[in-house]
Amino acid sequence: MGAFLAHPAVQGGLAPFIVGIVVAGLAYGLRLAGIAAAAGFFAAVYLIGNFFFDLHTSMHKIVALGMLATAIGVVADLAFKPTRAAGAVLGGLFGLGSLWAFWTVLGNKPLAQALVYGAAVAAFVAWTVATTLTLHDDPVRAGAAGLGLGLGVGIGAVLGASSLIGQYGMSLGAASGGFLVLVMTLGKRVTAGASLTLTVSALTGMLGAAAVMLARVPWFSVAALGLVPLAVRLPLPERAHPATQVVVASLYALAIAGASLALAWVARRA
Amino acid sequence: MKRLTLAAIALALPVAASAAPETYIVDPIHSFANFSVDHIGYSTLFGRFNRSSGKFIIDAQAKTASVEMTVDAASVDTGDHDRGSRARTRDEHLRSADFFNVAEFPAMTFKSTAVKFSGDSPTEIEGQFTMLGAAKPLTLRLERWKCGAHPFNKKQMCGGNATGMLRRTDYGMKYAMPAISDEVKLNISFEAYRQ
Repeated sequence: MGAFLAHPAVQGGLAPFIVGIVVAGLAYGLRLAGIAAAAGFFAAVYLIGNFFFDLHTSMHKIVALGMLATAIGVVADLAFKPTRAAGAVLGGLFGLGSLWAFWTVLGNKPLAQALVYGAAVAAFVAWTVATTLTLHDDPVRAGAAGLGLGLGVGIGAVLGASSLIGQYGMSLGAASGGFLVLVMTLGKRVTAGASLTLTVSALTGMLGAAAVMLARVPWFSVAALGLVPLAVRLPLPERAHPATQVVVASLYALAIAGASLALAWVARRA
Repeated sequence: MKRLTLAAIALALPVAASAAPETYIVDPIHSFANFSVDHIGYSTLFGRFNRSSGKFIIDAQAKTASVEMTVDAASVDTGDHDRGSRARTRDEHLRSADFFNVAEFPAMTFKSTAVKFSGDSPTEIEGQFTMLGAAKPLTLRLERWKCGAHPFNKKQMCGGNATGMLRRTDYGMKYAMPAISDEVKLNISFEAYRQ
């Protein structure tokens, strides 16, 4: 069992997927099925074992900000419904948070380069959060966005140089997949909420930035992932079974993720 | 009498000079921090850091010394430079956030806190090793030590080998445990010229 749980594919894929299904099912009655994404991600963090509560590296700060995103998401789902303004505000908040996460890395760069990277990282995270959070009341599109963003960031990081960032990213994609299994079964009664959209967007935004800064993934392949929250807004067969809608929305998201990975692969081979 | 005194002083000067602390600057061309780890329980993987700098100050008569060394983490080299059909080399992986995280922590440093001697030669160096932003005690044992003139350029130099062991998880490097061993063996070879 120990060897099974130590396998990277189990830690970053299978376990978060199963945890995602189970937690989505358990929290469905509380209208908090969206915490499936956080549950899958933190299951991966636990199994990989690279985390201890110490905020002196970018990766540890990202995980800590992921905890904050989940907490804010749950409170938002229980206490109020996020508005369009909430997306911009939380986007700005996590954009600034990403600067804190990468402060040491930015500090090691020449000033002009640090300013460009810092602005780009903050803008990317803010964009990802703001555009994904507005999907909170559409479980099909929100789950598909989580799937595309997570797998895009995760596989992209593995194509770069970091398996750790890869496993973290893929765990978010896998857990979003687990959430989508429940949506395929129960339909749109399942709530994604801010607990899914904020957790997934804040974490994939920062992990994407980490892939560029710490794992040599080309910036343009990660920037392309910013189109995922837009792609899942394309028309869906509204009268079709929820499972069909999930498949179509996921294809939209995975098409963007696939294009992003192709960019990363071509750049690495060049 | 005056000439005799001057001659005595002149004779005594080299002795006085050799008793004073001497500073040596590490020669980066002939000094490398080598390491080895167990890989999935089947083999030992060897690597080294290609760029390092440092100095030590030694007073052999007073039996005191201090050492400072900085290693460029991005210079890690395990001999895997060609991606081939892969997306990355092992060395690129080692530079990532999974291991040495060189974008965030570009340097590793060692600063001595105490040096033990046997006769005129240092035998053990205790100090603080900083990696990934974490400083922990590390003891290096000098298995080889020699000072003298360089055989060709005749400059005064010292050289040797220091060995030690650290646990990478003590510094927060927890990725791929236990497939890649926690225990990392160090073997630092060095040459240094007197300033």
